Amino acid sequence: MLRIEHYSKTYPGGKKAVDDLTLHVRPGEIYGFIGHNGAGKTTTLRAVAGVMDFTEGTITIDGHDVKKDPVGAKRVTAFLPDNPDLYEFMKGIDYLNFIADLYDIPADRRTADIGKYGDAFELTGNLGSPIGSYSHGMRQKLALISAFIRRPRLLILDEPFVGLDPSASHLMKGYLADLCREGSAVFFSTHVLEVAEKLCHQIAIIKDGRLVKCGPTEQLVGDSSLEDVFLELEGDK
Amino acid sequence: MKKFFALLKVSVKSMLLSSTNSQGSSRKKAATGVGAMLLIAFLGLYLSGFYSSLLMHALAPVHMEVLVFIFMGMGALVGGLLFTTFAVKGVVFGGRDNDLLLSMPVNSTMLMASRVSAIYLENLLFSLFVLAPAGAVCAFMTQSGVGHSVLFWVRLAVAVLALPLLDTALSVLMGALVAFLSARVARGALGQNIVMAVYMVAVFYFAFNVNGMIEGLAANAAGVKESLSWAAPMLWMADGIMGDWGKLLAFAACCVVPFGLVVFGLGRVYRQAVTAFAARSARNDYKLSAQSASGQKKALLAKEAKRFFGTPMYFWNAGIGLMMLLAAGVAALVMQRDLQELIGLLGDALPVMPLAAMVMGFCLCTSAVAAPSISLEGKYLWILREAPVDENSLLRIKTGFELLLSLPCTLIAGVCLTIALKLSAAEGAVLVGAALLFCVGHAAFGMLMGLTFPKLDAVNETVVVKQGMAVMLDMFVPMAVLGVCALLYWLGGMLSAWAALALPIALLAALTAVCVLILVKKGPAMLRAL
Repeated sequence: MLRIEHYSKTYPGGKKAVDDLTLHVRPGEIYGFIGHNGAGKTTTLRAVAGVMDFTEGTITIDGHDVKKDPVGAKRVTAFLPDNPDLYEFMKGIDYLNFIADLYDIPADRRTADIGKYGDAFELTGNLGSPIGSYSHGMRQKLALISAFIRRPRLLILDEPFVGLDPSASHLMKGYLADLCREGSAVFFSTHVLEVAEKLCHQIAIIKDGRLVKCGPTEQLVGDSSLEDVFLELEGDK
Repeated sequence: MKKFFALLKVSVKSMLLSSTNSQGSSRKKAATGVGAMLLIAFLGLYLSGFYSSLLMHALAPVHMEVLVFIFMGMGALVGGLLFTTFAVKGVVFGGRDNDLLLSMPVNSTMLMASRVSAIYLENLLFSLFVLAPAGAVCAFMTQSGVGHSVLFWVRLAVAVLALPLLDTALSVLMGALVAFLSARVARGALGQNIVMAVYMVAVFYFAFNVNGMIEGLAANAAGVKESLSWAAPMLWMADGIMGDWGKLLAFAACCVVPFGLVVFGLGRVYRQAVTAFAARSARNDYKLSAQSASGQKKALLAKEAKRFFGTPMYFWNAGIGLMMLLAAGVAALVMQRDLQELIGLLGDALPVMPLAAMVMGFCLCTSAVAAPSISLEGKYLWILREAPVDENSLLRIKTGFELLLSLPCTLIAGVCLTIALKLSAAEGAVLVGAALLFCVGHAAFGMLMGLTFPKLDAVNETVVVKQGMAVMLDMFVPMAVLGVCALLYWLGGMLSAWAALALPIALLAALTAVCVLILVKKGPAMLRAL
């Protein structure tokens, strides 16, 4: 589903944020991407989502090259940044319809999906209010709903659990699993290692822009915990 | 005081950086900031110098120079109010750093005072650029020699420093009202638009009547001064500048006291005010019904329209030129007979059609709709970047939105002017065609400026729409082009009537083609690189 081949990103000034990263996410997989602050996680996710330009390496999503066919790649993708800023001059329902229009989602399907996810995340009643009046958690939920109604082949999430209440987090995990059962894939970054350990089929650990370890969660963790493995690789233990 | 100056430094720095690019080296940022400041200074000095000399020419012979300072003082006051009232909503009450600064061990009155002081400095520039040329004109054009003494300049300096205090106090009160309306009225944008509309009507009334007032001034200058008793502080300021120290002190007190009252009065409730103004009306009883679908382009255009009409700051600043254009067309039709009489009096030498084209062009220059649209995306830009829409389409839609507004207004105004000025069909077609061409070039140039001078980290829309480099260049560069067109018309007129029209239109066509070509070829890459 997602193939990252020899991807590197160097910022102006010479700092190499990501160095020769190769990583594959298969359909039906939840892939966790962990690393310390500034390791290069967000830089990678933004490049995969087509939000940020890059010069070295190739990234393909469901057969679409992010550089050569960006619109095709974006059509099958949904991306949620760590702090999703949404148009404050729009009402919640206007934003969802705006996104649905950009992705050509038919009227009946969008009505059904907005109802389904809006009710589940207890946001339907607030959809008539301007986004400017929403709390951080409500914006996060709205952004999640806008991602789920697209039924993406690849869902990219940057720190998705930040700002969500426990029940919304639980719901989201369920929907991520549903998405994977339907053949899509999820690629997300997190600092919550317990969640990553329980939720992910595969995990990659990145340090200073370099991939230091990746593989199926059971193999990676072995008899210890993901926290132990992570700290050992980071050299903190 | 150390804390106050630290806070003031932050506010002023953010204000100064507001007209610069959000990317690039600090030297480049400083250069663009200084450039923007010089541009404002030049415009202020030019306009003030022009009107001051016009007034002084009429008033010096009757020894009523004092009226120049009354009118210029009023101009500075109204201009400052217009410029800073909406800035107050963003800078004083709606800063993105409110949570951070209010959580710090700083007195809220001090925090408010630091932000209000930044507004004061902005008004001070206005006051300086308006009153200083008036002083210079007074020094050169009066026979009494009042402008030649050092004390005259000291008194003028006191007035320049004091007037912005009054301006700032009024701006803060009006800004608080605007912020209150946005927070409390369900359709906040409508409330703000009404306040702004009242403002604009007052300003235009003043501007349209100023020439008539000047004509009648010389005949009845003393009477005019008496009739302005309702603006007593302005009279005191003018008398003070001309030599009455007592009145100057009274004027200074009139400025310092309201400023102090506003800063200390609102400062005591600043935390509550910021909290109240930040609260938005919210409901939780929305019932989902069947939704309808539309296409990508329609959705993106609707988003641009929602932002434009739902953001009073954007609407009034970018839309004022188009409103003026329509008003000019309709007014010309209504006052058709007066216009014809005037044209008849001036004779055949008056180039009516080129003058109409210049007026239309000037109005279009002030309608920068596309220029700030990239910067207004700011923190929301990720939404468009993530969307399955190519950059070329995004730029076409943003540029197209300006054209969607400007082309119909231009067409209506052009037809109205053609009828009102009794132009021939051919002249009318040239007028409308040239104006439509200018619209296209202006929109493409504005979009290019938006991409070249993006301000994606602006703390609020005021910074982008009022002080952004892209907007300023989108206004002043096309004005300069109009000047070159006028020169070409004059030069062409030496050859033939045909050349007089062909040369400026050829220049417009060439510049429009260049802008469109650069936008199509380089625009997508520029957008991607942001």
